[in-house]
Amino acid sequence: MLSVKGLKANVGDKEILKGLDLEIGRGEVHAIMGPNGSGKSTLAHVLSGREGYTVTGGSVTFEGQDLLDLEPEARAHLGLFLAFQYPVELPGVNNTYFLKAALNAIRKARGEPELDAVSFLRLMKEKLKVLHLDDSLLKRPVNFGFSGGEKKRNEIFQMAILEPKLAILDETDSGLDIDALRIVADGVNALRSPERSVILVTHYQRLLDYIQPDYVHVLAKGQIIRSGGKELALELEDKGYGWLGAEEAA
Amino acid sequence: MNATPGNGFAPWLADDGPAADTGLAWLDSRRAQARAQVRDQGIPTNKQEAWRYTSLTRLLEQGFTPTAKAATPLEPRDLEPLLVPGLEAYRVVLVNGRFVPGLSDLQHLPAGLRVGGLAQILKSDPDALKDRLNGVAGEAQHLFAALNTAGLDDGVVVLLERGAQVERPIELIHLSVGMDEPRVAQPRHVVALEAGAQASLIERYVSLGEALYCTNSVLELSLGRDAVLKHQRIQTESANAFHIAGLYLSLGAGSRYQCVNVGLGASWARTDLNVRFAGEHAECDLQGLYLAGDRQLMDFHLDVDHRLPQCSSRENFKGILYGKGRAVFDGRVYVAKDAQRTDAAMSNRNLLLSEGAEIDTKPQLEINADDVKCSHGTTVGQIEPEQLFYLRSRGISAPLARRMLCLGFAGEILDCLTPEALRDQVAEQVGSRLEQAPID
Repeated sequence: MLSVKGLKANVGDKEILKGLDLEIGRGEVHAIMGPNGSGKSTLAHVLSGREGYTVTGGSVTFEGQDLLDLEPEARAHLGLFLAFQYPVELPGVNNTYFLKAALNAIRKARGEPELDAVSFLRLMKEKLKVLHLDDSLLKRPVNFGFSGGEKKRNEIFQMAILEPKLAILDETDSGLDIDALRIVADGVNALRSPERSVILVTHYQRLLDYIQPDYVHVLAKGQIIRSGGKELALELEDKGYGWLGAEEAA
Repeated sequence: MNATPGNGFAPWLADDGPAADTGLAWLDSRRAQARAQVRDQGIPTNKQEAWRYTSLTRLLEQGFTPTAKAATPLEPRDLEPLLVPGLEAYRVVLVNGRFVPGLSDLQHLPAGLRVGGLAQILKSDPDALKDRLNGVAGEAQHLFAALNTAGLDDGVVVLLERGAQVERPIELIHLSVGMDEPRVAQPRHVVALEAGAQASLIERYVSLGEALYCTNSVLELSLGRDAVLKHQRIQTESANAFHIAGLYLSLGAGSRYQCVNVGLGASWARTDLNVRFAGEHAECDLQGLYLAGDRQLMDFHLDVDHRLPQCSSRENFKGILYGKGRAVFDGRVYVAKDAQRTDAAMSNRNLLLSEGAEIDTKPQLEINADDVKCSHGTTVGQIEPEQLFYLRSRGISAPLARRMLCLGFAGEILDCLTPEALRDQVAEQVGSRLEQAPID
């Protein structure tokens, strides 16, 4: 579903990704771990098409298409979703209106009929129930005045509505206490399916106690230096990143 | 002002012009005085602070003629596309500045409410207006207020008696219809709420077609003790029109006034809001939203005069500018020496969507008392790339994402509009304006 080959990317003049390879199959959950400054978030941003990064080499294919050629919205239409590490506040933009616009834009791009207000509301209520979320979420402006935990939950809620084929969760565990983490993890688990792949970008093993990955990769200095099963995460928890030669970047 | 050819307002300034003889001596003398004042003052230039950023050249180049006595015959169904869907209101309609009873809906007015055409009332009951006309505006120094006095021939009068509380809004529709030559309409509106009266006034400037014309309106408004008025002004004139509005407000003790201004239309629009507190403990809340695109100027001047203690005022204006659109915000809050415990807060925030757009913003506080709470703030910014990316990453196209963010920015003001039908209509108008906006 996603094939990253020899990906190199710069921020300004600085090379952050230095030839990264990654293969993700349908329905798989991959954790990408690594110390600060290893390029984890850069990878998430480059995949989602954020400005400010220059790809200098390699390729990314998603669902048979050259992903790097596409605008961010076109990537979303193909089924890519990024749960932000820092969800952006949109004062004055109503959450329901926002999600309806997003879902219908995606449906339209796929040649599916747009949902009317009634069907959309039904869908929202259903997803709120699955994720055990409060429906006050629907009336509020997107992320505006939300607590850290609420923002992360809102990301998972968006993911539930938009039903992506590949979700990238960028440090979704950061800044969450254990209860909030559990709620978010339960949400992600509820959305796991043989059709949906997930990339968990995280610094800590903690999240992986709640969301069991099929594969774990260690990213250091812009490259994947080790891949394995979920036991690799436990090893990292024990020994830190140092034994792999992956120190925290200066 | 010299009555040179090409001076579009010359017809009103001749002592033997169309407006010289009204049959009312007091009105004739006020008009003669206004004519003399305009002639003495001359045309303001950009050396005068009030006109520093706004040029009158293009306006005065137009060869306007006064609106003919007979308005274009229209039927109620012509008005339908311009109505707010589902809005139930006492409706008073002017066409090209003249009251048209056949288009208005003034039946079953509740006790204590009088709504009618100014010209009619000047004929039937001039004494009702003698003290009210110029009662608030006084001998206004403003060029266009004086021109309005010199040329006024019709308008709307709304009078609420002591304690009258009217639930249903009073809707004033000023409709302009293109004529074979550019016309100027100079409606004069008089609104007075006696002590304890409460009402809601919706003032809308609309047009059929995209003709070139000029509206120079003056509204004089007085609120008696503890009166409450919500006033909403929606300006959606033709894209080629000139729109000038002077509002003169006198707020009595304990009265509460809210004005929500929306400026979307006209190629050149100037609005002056002059607020004078006439009693203590009065509250004034001025909200505003304006859009300006290519070849469009939107100019708001606020002058809030805290001459008495313990009054509060809020001035909150937001602008969205795109293309080569220009706007001016000049807000002055004056606090007199004795106006202790004044509470005033002014804010002007602007979103610029293009390199070519321009805003000249000048909030001023002039405080002469020492026990006051006053603040002002101004921002000029662009759409945040982070916000744009967030929306796009959810599948929303860049143009729609920009529109959503602009509407989000405008939402604070739009949400002041009531009832919801009016809010929705204006939000849609703002949205469709933004849809046409060339955004770079």
